[in-house]
Amino acid sequence: MTEWRNGRLEGVRITDGGDGSLTSAVGDSVLFAKLQDLLAWGRKNSLWPLNFGLSCCFVEMATSLTSVYDVSRFGAEVVRGSPRQADVLVVSGTVFLKVAPVIKQLYEQMLEPRWVISMGSCSNSGGMFDAYSVVQGVDKFIPVDVYMPGCPPPPHAFMECLLLLQNMVGSERRPLSWHFGPQEVQRPIMPSLRDAKRAERMSQREYPGIDVLPRTDLLSPHFAGQPDGRPKGKS
Amino acid sequence: MTPRLSATRDIPIGEHTGLVAEIAAHFGSDGYLTAVQSTKDEIPTIWVEKHRLHEILRYVKSELTRPFPMLFDLSATDERLRRHHDGLPIGSFTVFYHLFSFDRNQSLRIKVALDSEALSLPSSIDLWPNADWYEREIFDMFGVRFDGHPFLRRLLMPSWWEGYPLRKDHPSRATEVGQFQMPPEKLVMAQDALQFKPEDWGLARAHHDQDSDFDYMFINLGPAHTGTHGVLRLVAQLAGEEIIHIVPDIGFHHRSQEKIAERQTWHSFIPYTDRVDYLQGVLNEMPYCLSVERLAGITVPPRAQVIRVMMSEFYRIASHLVWYGTFAGDIGALSPVFYMFNDRERILSITEAICGGRMHPNWLRIGGVARDLPIGWDTLVRQFIDWFPSRLDDYERLVMDNPILKQRTVGIGVLSLDDAIAWGATGPMLRACGLPWDLRKVRPYSGYEQFDFDVPVASNGDCYDRALVHILELRQSLRIIRQCLDSMPSGPYTSLDALATPPLKTHTMHDIETLINHFVGVSWGPVLPPGEAEVPTESSKGQTSYYLTSDGSQLSYRTRIRTPSFAHIQMVPLMARGELLSDLLAVLGSVDYVLSDVDR
Repeated sequence: MTEWRNGRLEGVRITDGGDGSLTSAVGDSVLFAKLQDLLAWGRKNSLWPLNFGLSCCFVEMATSLTSVYDVSRFGAEVVRGSPRQADVLVVSGTVFLKVAPVIKQLYEQMLEPRWVISMGSCSNSGGMFDAYSVVQGVDKFIPVDVYMPGCPPPPHAFMECLLLLQNMVGSERRPLSWHFGPQEVQRPIMPSLRDAKRAERMSQREYPGIDVLPRTDLLSPHFAGQPDGRPKGKS
Repeated sequence: MTPRLSATRDIPIGEHTGLVAEIAAHFGSDGYLTAVQSTKDEIPTIWVEKHRLHEILRYVKSELTRPFPMLFDLSATDERLRRHHDGLPIGSFTVFYHLFSFDRNQSLRIKVALDSEALSLPSSIDLWPNADWYEREIFDMFGVRFDGHPFLRRLLMPSWWEGYPLRKDHPSRATEVGQFQMPPEKLVMAQDALQFKPEDWGLARAHHDQDSDFDYMFINLGPAHTGTHGVLRLVAQLAGEEIIHIVPDIGFHHRSQEKIAERQTWHSFIPYTDRVDYLQGVLNEMPYCLSVERLAGITVPPRAQVIRVMMSEFYRIASHLVWYGTFAGDIGALSPVFYMFNDRERILSITEAICGGRMHPNWLRIGGVARDLPIGWDTLVRQFIDWFPSRLDDYERLVMDNPILKQRTVGIGVLSLDDAIAWGATGPMLRACGLPWDLRKVRPYSGYEQFDFDVPVASNGDCYDRALVHILELRQSLRIIRQCLDSMPSGPYTSLDALATPPLKTHTMHDIETLINHFVGVSWGPVLPPGEAEVPTESSKGQTSYYLTSDGSQLSYRTRIRTPSFAHIQMVPLMARGELLSDLLAVLGSVDYVLSDVDR
């Protein structure tokens, strides 16, 4: 039995040519799915962010677009200049008093369905800038779907949060029509990552020392030589 | 406790009599001068009478032999809670002018004391055009009025804001003033306040003369625009496609760093400096730590100095690479940014291995650096400096030799050297106009005098030349890093001075005095002697300096952050006037600014 799960069609048997019968040819090239599921899958894998940056976090977000991280692997590299074409507002940086109305307006100009990632400590809570000109968290005036800790979060943290958002978007069910079916949006309850990762974190006993240097050869195969301080005892 | 290695000597007033005497000789002894202040930073500092101020500024700007043609910085201090007066004529507020002379290679600070009842000064916009924004900032932050200023209104805070944030009686924290709320009527009010009305800026809506009769077009860019590299807003007045005037609107990125500095300890403000210009990490910490060390009289050991220089140059390259890619992107070349961010990633992997952080390393400490270099650092560094030169060659072919890029930048946004100096341009902006002025060379700090490097300079002052200077600087930074690698001194990575924070951890485990120092320095903060110091440094975008005033406590009394981007963004209208609208992005791209550096 085939079903859509986590954006993947599971249970499909990929055959190479099959037995040549019409039944097997149709079975290999035609998918059956509920339209709602297909749309959710489509939304999930084409989350287009709005090109809007506030501060330091935006540089890390932009870094995730470039070749080392390559966020286009997740279908989110189509950065849109207009809020009307964008699905995700990434609030990447400090939310200032003077720019808060602008963010609010941009959010309201985005078409439904729309999601918000709050990137970095400033946007989550004001962070280290508890100051007269800084709004203490973007959730004071727009709803947030994913909070990303860090100051600034590295590009891979941005990508992890994008995947979290994808999981949520992929399991949302939205009405197909004004005329029939339930009209409300069915949103999944997403698990707290603090709880999900707790056991693993508490059981960690080995930490890399300060003299363990990074594997710079991972950046490109052409990068000459190997550093001395490779991680020890790890594959 | 370890003895103090060597204290920076207090400069006796007599040493400055040269410059002060020249001014005195002109003005005679009729009481224009109220005091000569001795500061820790060897900058001659004079206090003058308010009613003679403009006359004196005019004299030192244009009539003095070897004059002071640049207004480097202009700001104010709320003195009402000051405890140490040291015999100075301190009033309720002080406005200070920091002038600079290239002929003398010397700074001059002129201070005026103001009473709460008469908070006004004559505007000096007729002497230095860049006084415009500085005076508006003082009005915004302190409520000091400048008579004769044409557009004296808020610069950083929104126009509906009440109160003057840098006054001592203004709350510092957002959590002190209640929860932020944005009801619909507030949103409408705030959006209305952002409406641009040309009349407010003295701009005509239409053009009439005997030959032509047409309406100007006003185009708004930002604060959410892909070409402005952040939350900057520009309103362009256009005749067809030609730019007649531009009105920049800043303050969308005002993080109140100067106010925060008054509540953090000297030590715990270092992470905040990282975020002043978020692309250049250690280069922000450098001027702050140098100024604190000057106040405290700490000498930094050679190994720490060289580590500082090496990391500074790495961050200069990283910052220039972001600029390089986005500049090419602004012109329309979309692929270079992918190459440059790839190499930036290599630098960030090195800084992460050494400092523990990517963009915000929090690496410098008062008296040294956070810890010693990790084992194997030299291999990492050597890999990079062997790798990078050939990439730079590729980039030059890819970007700088590109005929389209040349057409769009050569002769565009031309800035003359006189204008550059009059508007306070520093760094690559100034060097692109033909003046080889690099503080690492002319006023060396942190041991830069021991390094062998050149100061790249161009002559035309257009967008292409500004780019050229940046690119040549990349190679010079590589040269400096190679010298750091080849001759890294041994020895301690932080000073043994009592005020160096935090003290070496190894000592704390054997010595109760150092343990106490460590505990007090980290929890309560080191107490610096009263005084003032400012050490300008050459950061990636120009000259950055932290003018610190200590009132003898663990907190700074006033921290003035002078940033290059603030001065440079103010010059954008000057450079873009007469160009086409599409050239505006080339001009913006060539300026190399960061919004957090503009608004702080």
